[in-house]
Amino acid sequence: MDFISNQEPQIVEMLRILGVDSIEALFEAIPPRLRVPKPMQDDGISESEGMAWIESIAQKNTFPSFKSYLGAGAYQHHVPALVGAITSKSEFLTSYTPYQAEASQGMLQAIFEFQSALAALTGMDVANASLYDGATACAEAALMALRIHKERNKIVLSDALHPHYQKVIEQYVKPHSGEIHRIPYTNDFQLDLKAAQTLIDDKTAAVIVSYPNFLGMIDPVAQVAAHAKTKGALTIVSANPLVYGLYASAAEIGADIAVGDAQPFGLSLSYGGPYLGYMACRQEFVRQLPGRIVGETTDQQGRPGFVLTLQAREQHIRREKATSNICTNQALAALAALVAILWYGKEGIKQLALTNYQRTAYLKHKLATLPGISIPKSDAHFNEFPVSFGIPAEKVQAHFRRHGIEPGFHLGPSLPDHFLVAVTELKTQGDLDHYCEVYNGLI
Amino acid sequence: MVSSKQPFHFSTIFQKSQPKQKAYSLPKDTAAFQQFHPPAKLCRTSEIPLPEVSEIDLTRHFCGLAKRNVGIDTTFYPLGSCTMKLNPRVNEWCASLPQFVRTHPFAPEETVQGNLQVIHELVEMLCALCGMDGGTLLPCAGAHGEYVGIQMIAAHHRAKGDHERTEFLIPDNAHGTNPASVAMAGFTTRSIPSGPDGDLDIKALQAALSSKTAGLMMTNPSTLGLFSQRIEEIAKCVHAAGGLLYYDGANLNAIANYARPGEMGFDVMHLNLHKTFSTPHGGGGPGSGPVLCKAQLTPYLPLPRVVKQNGNYSLVKEDPRSIGFVSSFFGNFAIYLRAFLYFKLHGFYGMRRIAEHAVLNANYLKKQLEPLFTVPFKQPCMHEFVVSIDQYPGIKALDIAKRLLDYGVYAPTVYFPLIIKECMLIEPTECESKRTLDDFIAALHKIVEEIKHSPELVKTAPHTTPVSRLDEVKAAKTPILKAV
Amino acid sequence: MIKFTETHEWITVANDVGTVGITDHAQRELGDIVYVELPKIGKSVKKGEEAVVLESTKAAADVYAPVEGTIFEVNEQLTTAPDLINRSSESTGWLFKLKIANPKDLDGLLDQKEYHQMTHE
Repeated sequence: MDFISNQEPQIVEMLRILGVDSIEALFEAIPPRLRVPKPMQDDGISESEGMAWIESIAQKNTFPSFKSYLGAGAYQHHVPALVGAITSKSEFLTSYTPYQAEASQGMLQAIFEFQSALAALTGMDVANASLYDGATACAEAALMALRIHKERNKIVLSDALHPHYQKVIEQYVKPHSGEIHRIPYTNDFQLDLKAAQTLIDDKTAAVIVSYPNFLGMIDPVAQVAAHAKTKGALTIVSANPLVYGLYASAAEIGADIAVGDAQPFGLSLSYGGPYLGYMACRQEFVRQLPGRIVGETTDQQGRPGFVLTLQAREQHIRREKATSNICTNQALAALAALVAILWYGKEGIKQLALTNYQRTAYLKHKLATLPGISIPKSDAHFNEFPVSFGIPAEKVQAHFRRHGIEPGFHLGPSLPDHFLVAVTELKTQGDLDHYCEVYNGLI
Repeated sequence: MVSSKQPFHFSTIFQKSQPKQKAYSLPKDTAAFQQFHPPAKLCRTSEIPLPEVSEIDLTRHFCGLAKRNVGIDTTFYPLGSCTMKLNPRVNEWCASLPQFVRTHPFAPEETVQGNLQVIHELVEMLCALCGMDGGTLLPCAGAHGEYVGIQMIAAHHRAKGDHERTEFLIPDNAHGTNPASVAMAGFTTRSIPSGPDGDLDIKALQAALSSKTAGLMMTNPSTLGLFSQRIEEIAKCVHAAGGLLYYDGANLNAIANYARPGEMGFDVMHLNLHKTFSTPHGGGGPGSGPVLCKAQLTPYLPLPRVVKQNGNYSLVKEDPRSIGFVSSFFGNFAIYLRAFLYFKLHGFYGMRRIAEHAVLNANYLKKQLEPLFTVPFKQPCMHEFVVSIDQYPGIKALDIAKRLLDYGVYAPTVYFPLIIKECMLIEPTECESKRTLDDFIAALHKIVEEIKHSPELVKTAPHTTPVSRLDEVKAAKTPILKAV
Repeated sequence: MIKFTETHEWITVANDVGTVGITDHAQRELGDIVYVELPKIGKSVKKGEEAVVLESTKAAADVYAPVEGTIFEVNEQLTTAPDLINRSSESTGWLFKLKIANPKDLDGLLDQKEYHQMTHE
């Protein structure tokens, strides 16, 4: 199957107009020895065969049959039905980057509204049109801090930041002679504030904290930000944006740049992508923001309209001096997130965040009453918590899986036999009670 | 000239808020849940200034926005360098299959063998197509892929103890992401001019090559739509100087299964799945930029990787030689899943037919437009070609682009590549039928007539879009970047 | 005395003080200037070093120091009225003033006639 329109009658006519005998004649610029011999096999398959084939591959995935408590940076939330209905609309799905603004007002306005929604959630002054994912958003923020503070080259980051995010930040900062220093976390799974205060000095361009941290706990981020301010360093907060429906906004914390992954809003798990990096910052840094930004303006008749703006910073103009190399963003994912955020709205976001917290607290408290369990006492968590069952991890996993449950993310070598357990609004009380019953069956 | 048929100003969703209205529903909380509260002193005290809108009003708002936008499904989009081909709905169908959608990136390997098969097989198919030995699907876009490829070249030189190589050579007609990616990876760039025939100037290249050269980044065909006949010579020069060759795969549509970058001498490359492989542009993303490479560079591929043994797929998460992690999880899985099906539907022979028809359509357009515009390069083009709008005094490429919007065509790329004055880069893709191309040609004929008799119509276009030309200076001078 | 560079900067000199701006030709090429990134007072620049960044909607351009020196004054008006550069790039739209470190640097620059020839080639 292919999607080529022209068939023999049109081909013959077009070749005649071109004055050549065959399509091959148009490829004469390619030296013969570089030409792939015409492959007569593998002419493709029909649509119905293609669908059957891909379905058979999909069937090999058994994971969807498990009740999953996996989080660790990707969360299973309800995706409102309206999201797919809007993102699958032809005019959104198959449109291009809105360079010809007059014919792209729909997408430009949607991105403008997305920027506004992220600014509202984070409390920051301005947001961009999205980045690839949470990890690269953090990396871009680190680079932004190094640009703003040209004389400083130190980046301090929380060791309780997502391990993948840490690796990507290193990847991006290394070529710019940035030094990375890590703030350890305590046995209570919280950021070591004293260590943070020692590490952040007047050579620090920025400190990057996670909110909640990778282990689901709320760190003393406001204190970190206050200290950073005294040293003239920027504070970058990497957050699951749903957390802002319950806990202090990035602005209230005193952050300068707010980043993270907005996947929890409107984006299904889809094995890790596409997700949605976001970045918002204080007004004074707007010209250092990487990526696309949509602004409001007027047309020849004075009517309001939207355009891509501040483009002079971007790669297609500034080239090697651009704020970033990013070209494609995650536009359709941003639209999905926007629809989801608006579907919840002002009140719904708060209710959604609260119920995530409460269901998580329920499971956490219930598990804490069971023998052999080690769990942080603090109530300052969001929708995830670390737990040790006091039993080797493989045994725990095998047992829970036999009962159709994926118990959580195994925290691996740094915290052996610990799991990160995530609970969202999709887990019922029955599910959570069952989790505890299954554990009981193990001990 | 204002058209009275235009819809009145379309409010933002923030302006449509009505107190206490809502769309959402949530499962009821039991008393057992409600007893738990987060520490009060950590809670948010400020309001969240999001709108309160019901589901019907939300629906109407977004449908209204859709009406103020166009896509490939509705409009011919001959955007050079973007490959705006049909985004098949069968791809959308497969990306929404629950067995894919519901898989978590940390799912145990034995429970996602389907996903791992997709990743492993697609890399193999792409390598076969491009003449490469290994690859990764982790980069989320072309620019991201460029960055990864450059980091791999850097790792290669470092592994050989060669720390002098700090410079990348880039043709002057390269896409802006090329020098930007190079700079982001910590290298300096040096521009190599094109000769009068549109090909890279070999003498200039040889003069620029030195012990500082890490590599040359280029695309073939070039952004002018021309295949470099000297590519093998170029590769030899660069390799002789100790540098590596990077292929920007943005223009792969022209040579898919007709020629292989690996056989031309390229060492590492990226592909744009949202170009050659029809994944939807989505208004500017998400895309996917897989990176492929020759055997000598495979150790540096990022992590994690998928390997196959005895029919079973598993993940490799550690390799000291790898450049490390480049994204949160596995890249844009749901995007390259679409490309996987697309590739399978076409088969290798189908991919070749894509190249044949992309080139046929482009040459047809070029021939038919020669009477109207200056065509700087007379030889057969590949999948795209440039024209220079310099023969109508007072008329710029931008004016023609804007007037085309009134004819229901999305304007071609303008002002890129930078080396051609008043440039328009036109790429029809393989999908378009002869009639669509003829309509496009007819529209341009009409516009040229308008230039002669009523030039103001063209200079102040567009007139039938929801808004007329927008004040970009105002937007940049006093940026308003969010609804209040 | 007024001198020009090949990168379209002008410099007027009075004793060891140089006033620098971009030429009318350059401002026309750039289009409407929307933003000016001025250097810090006290910054030392080498000859040919980037001193100012100008942003228009379609381009971002670096302005290079024509000679070596220390910047001691910038045109603050440009922060609120960047379009001053378009309206009067060769007088009130000046960018910065610097103490010239080495007057010999001026010798290598173009005079009015040479610059005019260069831009009209």
